[in-house]
Amino acid sequence: MAEARKSMIKIKPKKYKTGDIVKVDFIVIHPMDTGLIKDKKTGKIKPAHYIDNITFSFDGKPFTTMKVWETVSTNPYFSVNYKVTGKGKITVDYTDNTGEKNTKSKKLKPKD
Amino acid sequence: MKRRNFIKSMMAVSAVAVTPVVLMAKDETKAKKKGPNDLTVEAAIKAITGGKEVKKSDKIKLTVPEIAENGAVVPVKVQVDHPMEESNYVKAIHVLNTKNGNSRCADVMLTPANGKGYFATRVKLSSTQEVVALVELSDGTFIKAGKSVKVTIGGCG
Repeated sequence: MAEARKSMIKIKPKKYKTGDIVKVDFIVIHPMDTGLIKDKKTGKIKPAHYIDNITFSFDGKPFTTMKVWETVSTNPYFSVNYKVTGKGKITVDYTDNTGEKNTKSKKLKPKD
Repeated sequence: MKRRNFIKSMMAVSAVAVTPVVLMAKDETKAKKKGPNDLTVEAAIKAITGGKEVKKSDKIKLTVPEIAENGAVVPVKVQVDHPMEESNYVKAIHVLNTKNGNSRCADVMLTPANGKGYFATRVKLSSTQEVVALVELSDGTFIKAGKSVKVTIGGCG
């Protein structure tokens, strides 16, 4: 069952113009289990569960793709730069190793 | 001595001929300890570069804490001082560690649309070790930078 995860995209700084380079921060609530830690209640090892592919795109055009492993922290945070070219929508697609797919998007509104 | 010699010869043979078999065996025996994606840093670098030379460079600014109290959350920031033009740009940033079971953290493929070679995330570190940033430029050359992090409490299970 694909549950909707809590995620967030932040654009920094808050006020930007066309041509500026902004930070695109992506945060998602995810356990990122390594497959090494025992569950304290059941005593069984928790299976590995981590995000493995992330795609940042602007109006459908991907500008950054990532491959990620379980060595990234719980509730991961990824930050990349983006050069604003105009109004549009930033979309982040991410899948994890169990096949769960999610997307999150945010509008870019440069102030000219 | 016999046993020592035997083990040595076994290692030599396994490294050359029986690698897949040994790897599979390792997966089964060490799966509990090191996780499903067990890979050393040398193997990871080789897999990424394909055996090409990797130069140390001052172009990469790698920001990590000197002492991390909690190994489960270690912020890593990589900034590459390189132009981002159509023909000459930072193609990929790989974040690696030297002592975790899986030495790969993240492979980030960038495009000129990014504007700057920049990537930040938070990683888990099992013990005191080095964080390595391996950067691929669009002309096919590789540069790297490393910094060691002291970890007080490990964060990798």
